[in-house]
Amino acid sequence: MKWTYKEIGMYQESKEYVDSLIIPMNPISFGAQMKQFSSMHEFMGILMMEVEKQLKGRLLLMPGLTYWSEGQERADLIEIWKLKLLEADFKHVFWITSDSEWKKYEEQLPGSLLWIPSIPLEHLEEGQARQMMNDQVRQMLDMLTQSWNK
Amino acid sequence: MSKRNVSRRQFLNYTLTGVGGFMAAGILMPMVRFAIDPVLKASASGGFIATSQKVSELTAEPIRVDYTFDQIDGWYESQVTNTAWVYKADDGNIVALSPVCKHLGCTVAWNTDKEHPEQFFCPCHMGRYEKSGVNVPGTPPSKPLDVYETQVKDGILYLGLLKPHKGA
Repeated sequence: MKWTYKEIGMYQESKEYVDSLIIPMNPISFGAQMKQFSSMHEFMGILMMEVEKQLKGRLLLMPGLTYWSEGQERADLIEIWKLKLLEADFKHVFWITSDSEWKKYEEQLPGSLLWIPSIPLEHLEEGQARQMMNDQVRQMLDMLTQSWNK
Repeated sequence: MSKRNVSRRQFLNYTLTGVGGFMAAGILMPMVRFAIDPVLKASASGGFIATSQKVSELTAEPIRVDYTFDQIDGWYESQVTNTAWVYKADDGNIVALSPVCKHLGCTVAWNTDKEHPEQFFCPCHMGRYEKSGVNVPGTPPSKPLDVYETQVKDGILYLGLLKPHKGA
């Protein structure tokens, strides 16, 4: 379910079936990586849209968590989320990002970190991009259903 | 002037009635149109959308058929790709099922659960449906999968509106 008025209503009605929280994480910057980050953000948006469509009934997709790639303390971010997650009752929490920096924080993150390399969709032809995107979606779905069945 | 069949008074009466009539019509027409607007609107949603699926290639085994259309959703106009599960039933009719689980809206797939082959399976809460689209009792879904209206033109499959399953 998405972070919209209608679907949050749906979530509140069927909470017992929604045991997974998905938090996409997108870095931002005004520096040299601006372009790369914008491409990541685009990729993540499409990926999350597709994943949400496939597994709508069991997961809640948070709005993308945006943070400054430099100058923002990631440990602080994690602390806030840890606290806030206690208020909600999610059995599975998935952090999804293309930013490899998060791998260093994998231990501290409450839940599982799924790192997925971004595809520069802008350099691909429509059909090719769609194909690669489908593969990524499939992979992501496998990862999610596997952790459910564990 | 021996023949005066139209008096001044009559002439004025006729013209005023005529002009008044036109004015009344001018006011009423838009109001009537407005009131019956839904009747006049061409049913845009009734259109069939072409898929890339050749009907001759369909078998009794359900396959994924994707189709793309422009969707206007509030502020956004976007290209949406949707999927249908399509197969030929025993009586030769084409069956196109919606992949959206009637429980909470996940996407179901054909034959993906090893323990229950030859069924549609929802990975979210283990919902299952028979090949006909009818939900398996005892699993979370309470209704059968929706069914697409289908049309065949030049050997290509067209999908129309989603309808509730007849077996419901």
